[in-house]
Amino acid sequence: MKTNNKFRPYLIRLGIVFGLSVLLVVAFNEIVYLFQKSEYDRAPKTIKLVIPEGTADQIESGIDVESIPEELVFVIGDTLEVENLDQVSHQLGPIWVPPNSTGSLVMERANNYAYSCSFQTSRYLGLDVREPTTLRTRLIGLGFAAPTLTALLFLYSLLVFPIDKKTKSDEMKNKPVSSKTI
Amino acid sequence: MNKSKLGIIGLGVVIGLLLVYIVWQLTSQNYTYQGSLIDPPVEAKDFELTDQDGDIFRLSDQRGKVILIFFGYTHCPDVCPVTLSEFKQIKSQLREDAEKVEFIFITVDPERDTVDTLGDYVSIFDPDFIALTGERDELIEVWSDYGVYQARQEVTGAGGYLVDHTARVYAVDMDGNWRLTYPFGMEREKIYQDIRHLVQEG
Repeated sequence: MKTNNKFRPYLIRLGIVFGLSVLLVVAFNEIVYLFQKSEYDRAPKTIKLVIPEGTADQIESGIDVESIPEELVFVIGDTLEVENLDQVSHQLGPIWVPPNSTGSLVMERANNYAYSCSFQTSRYLGLDVREPTTLRTRLIGLGFAAPTLTALLFLYSLLVFPIDKKTKSDEMKNKPVSSKTI
Repeated sequence: MNKSKLGIIGLGVVIGLLLVYIVWQLTSQNYTYQGSLIDPPVEAKDFELTDQDGDIFRLSDQRGKVILIFFGYTHCPDVCPVTLSEFKQIKSQLREDAEKVEFIFITVDPERDTVDTLGDYVSIFDPDFIALTGERDELIEVWSDYGVYQARQEVTGAGGYLVDHTARVYAVDMDGNWRLTYPFGMEREKIYQDIRHLVQEG
């Protein structure tokens, strides 16, 4: 019990510093998140592209297919669905679609890909798969930052506000014996 | 043990079996294919080519089997041996289900890939793999149907030339439909899981 009493002020200090650290990290994280938040910090969804009929002929003639962007941005878990209404098969990098069908693929890895593509005049299409900043990623950030900040603040607080090592039992021991004997 | 206790135990067993059935139904219906899914499935274009034994091979004769098709060439330094090695591993993982899967290698270099060359090449990986060739005109039609790009690339050195080609793997289901495609680099385990599911579904 004596040992517990000895460490109690340190534990209380550690608890207070931990609470403070969590609050600081959450506040800092959320402020940064608010400023840096983009439209790609979202839950996965299905993104649909339609290859219109006659696309192959248009491409052959060097005409751009306006409905299809040259760069596509996804977040991990998004499903890219390509519907091919043309009379020939088309490919968009990892997806190959026969005529009058739909090809779909779940984007699983964050990366920047340049794929060959049969429905762009440039014959290439950029796929940017990003890891979204979600509540989970923010919580992971908190998990990393809070203990580190706690350790630093705790040590710093010990230097700036040292804990008085005298406990109540020590004080009792040090009370003058004379007062009792008189 | 009295009748009411037996009744409760019986009811518990029935409910348990029902739950197992429901969970099994839900999990089997919710399987998500990991390759690029073709939906609705489209009937795979049929072709007739020559195999490594000099026999005629027709895709339409393979109904009732899942077919994995890869286009490549025997002088390929990288993608083709890697893909065929993965085929070999998938076949080994499938165990007895492997009988229901056919692994097919179609050449994009008919000038160098003769029947004998193809036979020697695929037997390095697995003698049961089917290697196909044909006249260039016949192959051009197949390449076109399967959206396969191939272009000869001259290189200096003793090796002759290389062939740039599509490195996609096509999966045809037991009903002869194009169901899935896999880009080069897709993890083998994912392809295996999809193929196993196609076999079980068939």
